[in-house]
Amino acid sequence: MAGTSTTVDLGDLRARRGADVRGQIFLVLLVASVILAFAMVGAVFYDVTLDAWDIISQRFWDFLRMPSSSDPTKAGVAQGIRGSLLIALIVVATFPIGIAGAIYLEEYADDTWSTRLIQVTVRNLAGVPSIVYGLLGLAVFVQSLRGLTGGSSVIAAGLTLAVLVLPVVVITSAEAVRAVPPSLREGAYGLGATQWEVIRTQVVPAALPGILTGTVLAVARALGEAAPLLVIGAAGFYTTGNLDFLEQTQGAFTALPMNIANFARLPAETWRGHAAAASVVLLVLVFIVNLVAIIARARISKKLGR
Amino acid sequence: MPTLASRAWIAGIEVLLFLVLSLGFALAEYFVSGLFTDFGPSNFWLAFVVLAGWNAWHFAGSQTALGAAAGHYVLTLDGEPASVLTTAVRQLIRFGVLYGIPVLAIDFDLRVGLLVWLAVAVVIRSTPAHRAPWDLAAGTILASDIGPPQGLAPLPVVRDAGDLRLDPRRAKLDRRASRLMFLAGLTSVVISALIVWNIFTEAWTFVADDEFSWGILTDRGWFPRDGEFDLSTLFVGTLWITGIAMLVAGPVGLGVAFYLSEYASPRVRGMVKPLIETLASVPSVVLGLFAISFIAPEILQRIFDDIGIFSLLAAGIGVGILTVPIVASISEDAMRAVPMELREASYGLGGRKVTTALRVVFPAALSGISAAAIVGISRAIGETMVVFIAAGGNGVFNTDPVDQGQTITAAMASLGAGTDQVAGSGLAFQSLYFLGALLFVMTMLLNIVSDVIVRRFRQVY
Amino acid sequence: MQMTEPTTRIETNATVRERDPVAPDPSSEVFAVRDLNVYYGDLRAVADVNLDVYERQITAFIGPSGCGKSTVLRCFNRMNDLIDIARVDGSVRYRGIDLYDAAVDPVAVRRRIGMVFQKPNPFPKSIYDNVAYGPRVAGQKGNLDEVVEQSLRNAGLWDEVKDRLDDSALGMSGGQQQRLCIARAIAVNPDVLLMDEPCSALDPIATGRIEELMKEIQNDYTIVIVTHNMQQAARVSDRTAFFTAELDESTGQRRGRLVELDDTGTIFSNPSDERTEAYVTGRFG
Repeated sequence: MAGTSTTVDLGDLRARRGADVRGQIFLVLLVASVILAFAMVGAVFYDVTLDAWDIISQRFWDFLRMPSSSDPTKAGVAQGIRGSLLIALIVVATFPIGIAGAIYLEEYADDTWSTRLIQVTVRNLAGVPSIVYGLLGLAVFVQSLRGLTGGSSVIAAGLTLAVLVLPVVVITSAEAVRAVPPSLREGAYGLGATQWEVIRTQVVPAALPGILTGTVLAVARALGEAAPLLVIGAAGFYTTGNLDFLEQTQGAFTALPMNIANFARLPAETWRGHAAAASVVLLVLVFIVNLVAIIARARISKKLGR
Repeated sequence: MPTLASRAWIAGIEVLLFLVLSLGFALAEYFVSGLFTDFGPSNFWLAFVVLAGWNAWHFAGSQTALGAAAGHYVLTLDGEPASVLTTAVRQLIRFGVLYGIPVLAIDFDLRVGLLVWLAVAVVIRSTPAHRAPWDLAAGTILASDIGPPQGLAPLPVVRDAGDLRLDPRRAKLDRRASRLMFLAGLTSVVISALIVWNIFTEAWTFVADDEFSWGILTDRGWFPRDGEFDLSTLFVGTLWITGIAMLVAGPVGLGVAFYLSEYASPRVRGMVKPLIETLASVPSVVLGLFAISFIAPEILQRIFDDIGIFSLLAAGIGVGILTVPIVASISEDAMRAVPMELREASYGLGGRKVTTALRVVFPAALSGISAAAIVGISRAIGETMVVFIAAGGNGVFNTDPVDQGQTITAAMASLGAGTDQVAGSGLAFQSLYFLGALLFVMTMLLNIVSDVIVRRFRQVY
Repeated sequence: MQMTEPTTRIETNATVRERDPVAPDPSSEVFAVRDLNVYYGDLRAVADVNLDVYERQITAFIGPSGCGKSTVLRCFNRMNDLIDIARVDGSVRYRGIDLYDAAVDPVAVRRRIGMVFQKPNPFPKSIYDNVAYGPRVAGQKGNLDEVVEQSLRNAGLWDEVKDRLDDSALGMSGGQQQRLCIARAIAVNPDVLLMDEPCSALDPIATGRIEELMKEIQNDYTIVIVTHNMQQAARVSDRTAFFTAELDESTGQRRGRLVELDDTGTIFSNPSDERTEAYVTGRFG
């Protein structure tokens, strides 16, 4: 084998350590922004909990059960919790309209300019600022339909927020319906199912996890909205006392976000703790709603899959 | 297939087990609900629903020791482990559903409770399409279709066209459903029409009013009760808030998007993304509170000497934090929509990750990223509560971000917070709608632009 | 079973041939297609098709991609109705009844004329519920155990799945899934089975089983199968139709056209059209 030996120049295939300074800087910047985003999340939760700690540790149960009061040692958010729960209930009750609307757009409507116009409108309605929905609520539910809602009542608030989240429900449900594989529909049609039967037995069950996620996002959003309530005349503070669930539908009402806004805007610093404690309650409520959705979603997916 | 005798045994044992268990739970429920009664009578139902749900859950998963034991017991009775076990579990699920009803009534009257339970049980059991007789509880044992089919009849062979019309009942149902869905779809159209109609007619009454002159829109200062409606005051505030918010949300959101789409492993992404998204579910009032209890005192007052608790800067940063997840998620979608082949082409030419990200992915995703920015801006313009709480709400014309200021939304909120007084005081009430119309037009335009952009990048790839 | 027996028939002018109700009669027409044109919007996808499908026979449609064979198949159970822009012109008679008559409901047609699709598409439900789906939506009440068992037996799947009827159908192999889809179609007692490339997503062993199955059930159902695979058509079918895609000079669009339909043996050994010969000998397509 002696004689000619060919040398192939492989060049330098070793990783160039340290050469990629730009890449390193870029990565550091990216990681820094992620850390900053985390820090924001952390700071919000840390600060709110810290501010709320006095009330949480000393009189949390009391805080949950007491109505609003001008005495900081007695004031609580019982009315707000009830108001928020009732509002959420009304919002949930209107979900079928949004879901059915989404099914209409995806399954029934022909692809015409009017359908497309509706789709664009709904998408854009989702981006209209929430306070504008407050104006709608004020004009329609508080004034025009006073006989039905009793004016600035929790019912008017619930309906206003229901309208507010309707586009979100329609959009997410429509996306879930669109994601159902066409082969499922074909299979069912091929066996002699009517359109309604195909929707009821195939499309809706398959889209349910996605619909659920959308509706839960909607409930969470409705729980946290304050601006529209402000416009339709929710009270931040009232002293009619600890009203019953049913009694509360009649007149003055408040909701947790209104409590928070009210506490936060009071000039005396002592009320900051109340605002923070109310925020904790609201965050826990939103968290529970999300948790319920996650569990339900997992169960449905399991049932659908294997 | 289990024999008739073993079926009878299984059914008998199941019924006994269910009776014992439901009685036990009902009693427990009765005493436990006592704890809740001091909430007032109206909360009793809440207590009931919570407890019944909890019980049904346990039943359904057969997570109780008794449930598990029951499954095993039934198992030993029959030779087919798999099918009997699944049957047992399904049985328990059905009991869980059934269980809710006796409890409901037992709390008031034992006899009524049993009657209701029996009625529901009969209804459930007689529903069609249950698979096996032993799938149901004891009642079914009396039914005639017991026992495995003895020698299956072959499926009928069809050799004619038959009736090619649809069963009128099904056709009617189909038509009704489609009409109902159409009505639901119509609702959303009606609502959008209502919003537009209502806001613009009310806004028109503002402009058409005798007291209105274009001059009141330009006298410095926003004091609606004094008839001063200077829009530039609000525009300056809105511009500052939006600008500051985008300065915060733009870089952070984009950085997060780049990291998630180009660098993060699926595992890391699975952990980081939900955490960022929790930020999206934080209500804006809470961020308003955060702005005055943390951002202003802990950060801004250490940097600026003469800044108060309330300032445009603090509010802007608060709004920015709220906007981060929106910018991040839309830009990430856009980056992930960039086809892998483009990246591979860049790597194939010896491009580094950073080069690929900045020279290939970024330009390809640029339209989507600008859509994210536009949606972010639209959100920032429309954000109300953070500004209402943290910007001070002072109607004096001001161009200094470390001072207090007023935005379009916060001005509306201030007007709204005193709705009752507003109603009678000249143009103030109508100005609310005038601002609403302004806001509506601005955000709608931004949304439409971003929508068009997003559609386009979806179509390209 | 509380199924109401079909009592009324839609009035037609066509004469239905006399036939022995029990023995298969190869000369009786199940489908008679005359001057069929199918349009998708402005595009004419299928042009001037005339063909007959006979009872208790397997008729195969072969031809290159885009030749309209699936489109024609989907006219037989009006699946084309589901596409907004599709328009059908000409007549498709099913046992003498015009399928596109205003009085004919597509849902009722699909119950009579079942379909198996290209990709196995079991519902995300249990095996049992998949088979019971058709009878249930048709309003069949009571215990469906027998129907399910017999359908699964007919589809040759019973022994493999009898112990796991409650398991999800998505956990089965592709071939099993496709046989489940056949069982599902059989469960509604159809007269005809349409198969749209039923084996294109399956491996050769699974394909073999489906082909066996088709032979076994041939005595009970009239079968029309679309296939890309010429060997498959040669193996299973009694009659074969060859479609091709031709260029329309005036519009520049490609459209499907039926070249010839004959006994499978004739098509593969002695076709009358040279395009068919070119295709079956592998010189084109």
